[in-house]
Amino acid sequence: MRRKRFTALVLAAAVFCMTAMSGCAQGQGDKEAKKEITVAINSETGTLDPAGSIALTYLAYSVSALDELLTYDENGEIEYRAAESYEVNEDSALWTFHLREDALWSDGTPVTAADFLNTIRRALDPASGSGYAVYLFPIKNAEAIYNGEMSMDSLGVETPDDHTLIFRLEEPCVYFLDLLRLPVYTPSCEKYADSVDSGWDKNPQTSLSNGPFALEEYVPDQYFVLKKNEAYWNKDAVKLDRITYRFFDDTQAMAAAYETGEVDVATSLPSTVMELYRGKDDLLVTDQIATRYIYFNLNVKPFDDVRVREAFNLAIDREELCRIVGADTEPSYNLVAKYMTDKNTGERFVDGADQPFEENVERARELLAEAGYPNGEGFPALTYKYPTLEMDSDTAQVIKEQLKKNLNIDIELKAQELQANYSSRYAGDFDLCRMNWTADFADPYTYLSMLLSNSTYNCSGIQDAEYDAIVEASGREQDPGVRSDLLHQAEQRAVGEQFYIIPLYAMKSVNLVSPEITGLRQVPASGALEYRYADIG
Amino acid sequence: MPGYTFKRLATGLVSLLVLVTVTFFLVRLIPGSPFQNGGVSGRVVEAVEEEYGLNEALFDQYLTYMGNLVQGDLGVSYQEPGTTVAEIIGRTWPVTVSLGLIALLVAVVLGTGLGILRAVSKRRIVREGIAAGGMLLAGIPNFAAAILLLFVFSVKLGWFPSAGLLTPAHYVLPVLSLALYPTAVISRLMGNTLAVEMGKQYVLFARAKGLGRGRIIFTHALKNAWIPVLNYVGPASAFLLTGSFVVESIYTIPGLGREFVSSITNRDYTLILGLTVFMGTVVIAVNLATDLICAWMDPGMRRSYSDK
Repeated sequence: MRRKRFTALVLAAAVFCMTAMSGCAQGQGDKEAKKEITVAINSETGTLDPAGSIALTYLAYSVSALDELLTYDENGEIEYRAAESYEVNEDSALWTFHLREDALWSDGTPVTAADFLNTIRRALDPASGSGYAVYLFPIKNAEAIYNGEMSMDSLGVETPDDHTLIFRLEEPCVYFLDLLRLPVYTPSCEKYADSVDSGWDKNPQTSLSNGPFALEEYVPDQYFVLKKNEAYWNKDAVKLDRITYRFFDDTQAMAAAYETGEVDVATSLPSTVMELYRGKDDLLVTDQIATRYIYFNLNVKPFDDVRVREAFNLAIDREELCRIVGADTEPSYNLVAKYMTDKNTGERFVDGADQPFEENVERARELLAEAGYPNGEGFPALTYKYPTLEMDSDTAQVIKEQLKKNLNIDIELKAQELQANYSSRYAGDFDLCRMNWTADFADPYTYLSMLLSNSTYNCSGIQDAEYDAIVEASGREQDPGVRSDLLHQAEQRAVGEQFYIIPLYAMKSVNLVSPEITGLRQVPASGALEYRYADIG
Repeated sequence: MPGYTFKRLATGLVSLLVLVTVTFFLVRLIPGSPFQNGGVSGRVVEAVEEEYGLNEALFDQYLTYMGNLVQGDLGVSYQEPGTTVAEIIGRTWPVTVSLGLIALLVAVVLGTGLGILRAVSKRRIVREGIAAGGMLLAGIPNFAAAILLLFVFSVKLGWFPSAGLLTPAHYVLPVLSLALYPTAVISRLMGNTLAVEMGKQYVLFARAKGLGRGRIIFTHALKNAWIPVLNYVGPASAFLLTGSFVVESIYTIPGLGREFVSSITNRDYTLILGLTVFMGTVVIAVNLATDLICAWMDPGMRRSYSDK
């Protein structure tokens, strides 16, 4: 009897394994008939509500599903999306947008100015948790409303009719158009999008989109599916029928899923993938509009001394650093992202001026001696805090080694969990701290404004009235050429004269894309891949 | 027995209370905030924290939390506004349980089978082969096994998919990764105790009586040899039912373990606490059940409990 039961169990297990094996023949659908792609993205975080707490999931969703008013293409030309034209007054403080009259939400409802206002109003309530709310502050009274000091009625946004949207700004802002790609300036349908916690954003019935694709299914922790939006005004340009985004926690797992054909696109992979796929069509290396750098804490002696800061900058060999850290890095001597384009010239912004400084170990030693630390003697024991990511750990080791070799200075390394590192940085609780900044919008202002005396990203305690004046003037300057000069001047002062930061490198993004997929584009502001006009074959 | 059961239940509840309290304060000791990530300005973080009452005195927050907990309210997730912690557990637990139960079944069936074979096989090569294999498998941590299996059977051979739990085929590799270690342990425990049992006098007596070898093993010896295995299987199943952080991450399985890791990374305080309470309850309940079953199976143990 017992033996029979045991045999039955073994048999059951065997049958289970067989069904399991047969299951693997399925899954590979007929991609040609329906044009569908599967994209691997980093694990799920945040909401799909443009007014809510936004992270990777929204960014992946919005590039395919939502139309902002307008955006810039890779040549720096304006590409109108939800708007069809705009006007601006002389001092760039009053912006009027005319919305496309034929634009519809995915359920057929017209897209109106009120839908744009809907996102803005909700984002200005701190309970929404929008990290981008600060980018609404150029709008008249927005900051006061956010702080609860004024009522929503006083907001400087007007909607005289369904297809006109007017922004009245606190002061002139010449880079305002660049801000329009940010979530808080994207519409959310007034009919359903009522609050960040009602769940409308992940329910296909209520999560409407005004862009090329609309939400079809959302399975938390696993995947979400976007299908072509048949109500989209420009639907003839959209070739794919469906995009499935699958969540992965681990980049190795992502690469494995690409290898097995479970996904057609895998992004932000480790640099080792470059070696594995060298020479193959699958490998797509793109520029990230980001800079990795180190913050000095200016309140910690001797970093209040510009000579010490300069010595550190001159003593680091960035070429060597990048050779060790990985093939996906390239030395950077600027705060503004190396790969950011200057819309006036079409060239990289950083190439529009001389490199802010040259590495020079001899000079670095002299400077350190002048500052009172000949051959590093008497230099206090200072700590470099960085997150426990592989890239940052490798970087820290190299920098420690180089500072020891070139300046005879010992710095202590303290690896922190990522969140803990953010906390230390915001609290100013560090001597040296690793920083990474990915552009929010395609203008050098996104970088340079971080070092303003009153910026919340200024964690180093920089107080430089002259710098503030230059950067603020650049926000008002109408003439593109003059403005460009101001921006370069600001960067030179911060990076090449005052040495407020230690720029390290710019990064490439390593992606694997099935060679069958064509028509991929890159979002110029962030460097992320865009699938709107992608096709198969 | 009722007295013993009651005492064990009370101990369980106290352990749970201590667990929640310690976790509540430990979680708050970790630097960071649920609303902070690299790009959010400090100003925004402060405003949102105030909105969620995270700026109140910590002890008051603790009292509020405990008050809600007693009423069965685990709160809402900070990362997924509008989703309650209970909903997240309700969605992730079935995934983990299905995986855990299958792995447990595989481990018990395979482990017991191999253990019996090891104890009674007349061939030295079988006995030593199983012993050596068991030693080797017990020595491989499950993350290494998971990566190895993934690489060989998914990436290289392409037999099984690598991520998710969409079809039965998706279960094979994660189940194997989870089952390897318990299989090895069970086969060793089973092998050792059964070998000892087989040398005992009652087995000799049964044999003298003329009973067949299979009959002796399955009706007499196995019942006694099961007790240490059961003592191991209880706590081990608690582990399998609360999810493996590593295996779930590697195979991108939407279960409790992966949710737990991401809740910590995101500093999603209510979710961390909710998952801790839930997993704590499962572990305590499974241990309690194991003890009660063992007591029921062994009259000697049963007596020693009722003496207390």
